[in-house]
Amino acid sequence: MRNGGDNRGRLLLISLIVTSLFLITLDLRGVRVIDGLRSGSQTAISPFQSAGAKVFRPVGNFFSDVTHLGRTRGEIEKLKAENEKLRQNLINRRNADSELSQLKSVLDLAGTAKYKVVSAKVISLGSTSSFTQTISIDAGTDDGVQENMTVITGLGLVGVVKKSYPNSALVQLASDSAFQVGARVAGSQQIGILSGQGTSKGVLQLLDNQTTLKVGDVILARGSQNNRPFVPGVPIGEVTSVDNAAGAVTQTADVKLYVNFSALSVVAVVVGSPKTDPRDALVPKGPVPIPVPTVTVYATPSGSPKP
Amino acid sequence: MFARRFLTSFPIFVIVYLIQESIVSQFRIFGGGFSLFLIFALLWSALGTPELGALTGFGAGLLMDLSQTTSGPMGQWTLIMILAGFVISYLGYGDDNFRENPISLVVIVAVAVPITRLAYLIIGLMFGGDLGSTFQIFISLLASALWTVAVVPLLMPFVTRIHSTLFEEKSRG
Repeated sequence: MRNGGDNRGRLLLISLIVTSLFLITLDLRGVRVIDGLRSGSQTAISPFQSAGAKVFRPVGNFFSDVTHLGRTRGEIEKLKAENEKLRQNLINRRNADSELSQLKSVLDLAGTAKYKVVSAKVISLGSTSSFTQTISIDAGTDDGVQENMTVITGLGLVGVVKKSYPNSALVQLASDSAFQVGARVAGSQQIGILSGQGTSKGVLQLLDNQTTLKVGDVILARGSQNNRPFVPGVPIGEVTSVDNAAGAVTQTADVKLYVNFSALSVVAVVVGSPKTDPRDALVPKGPVPIPVPTVTVYATPSGSPKP
Repeated sequence: MFARRFLTSFPIFVIVYLIQESIVSQFRIFGGGFSLFLIFALLWSALGTPELGALTGFGAGLLMDLSQTTSGPMGQWTLIMILAGFVISYLGYGDDNFRENPISLVVIVAVAVPITRLAYLIIGLMFGGDLGSTFQIFISLLASALWTVAVVPLLMPFVTRIHSTLFEEKSRG
């Protein structure tokens, strides 16, 4: 071609180029034959590719691993660190969600009773130096938290502030065995004293024997003079069993405390109480019964049997 | 005669294409690796006449277009390979010193491979394809040139032997 370049060669070249341009045009216009050609060729090649992958992929992977040895290790370390960070973020997120939920419920409770509260995060659980059941919170005198103030969560009574520092406070939990609170039974208004037992249960001792307690009765805080240490109406727990011993002067009952003391993260300190007693306004709503459909069957008497 | 030669060499191209698609593609090599089929097609073209080079490019391009990994429209590789096959054979045609010197062949194929790939990229851009990272393209083209320099000497004895055996025998026949 260099030596003259015959017409036949040129014609061949031009016709090949035109053919390729024709193919491009067909493909860009979306002609299905072209797609069919590609998928058909892939169908024909795929068994070879599968066989090749089975035989040569391990070899390829080996060489790839060898060449990427340092990088792979670095990549693993990087991914591990990233994974750890994401896991930490997830934990923080769950923690924040839980705190938000607790804060919302405590504010709901405080709002219903019109308590003025200061919310606080639990910064430590329990005491390492004694057997008392306490928590430390991150609000103190700087936030208006004083000794003998009621501490609540969305579920009910947590305890009472025993010590108050500028930025923190020590709260005695209602589960502490030295804890005592004036209580009343929602509805009947019977009064008594509830004592902590060191567990999630307390013991209620009624002051008289006029009425009888029953399982499921809700116990509320009776309230103290000038609302210190306890504001009235805070839910404490629910009667789980009643001791009706013959000859007993007063009735006693086991009360399951509402608050889960091992899962406290956000609490509220009641720094201002309402002018009026909320009475039974804070009694938790019981479960709504699900209606069970009934089926009525009508029986039609048959005729008298024939002998 | 062209058609006969083209048909004769076609099974060899299919075998190399299958090796490329089923074996070479299994290896993850630095810089995106190399295309054995492209190197083979350009080397084969470099050994023939310009007409045969264009025809070889046409067949090779068609096979490359049929590959599932090809992103461009059908015919794009065909167009590029016709031109690449024609040009590479045109450059060495009639110069026996050039063709018989292995270093010349290595150099011309090593230069042709990245240029062909670059041409494919530019035409793909004209058809609305994505360019991607310029640095990555540069690395890939450079790596393909280097891999070609490494692969062509290994491939050349087989290719020249098959080419000469096939075409000399056919010419005699």
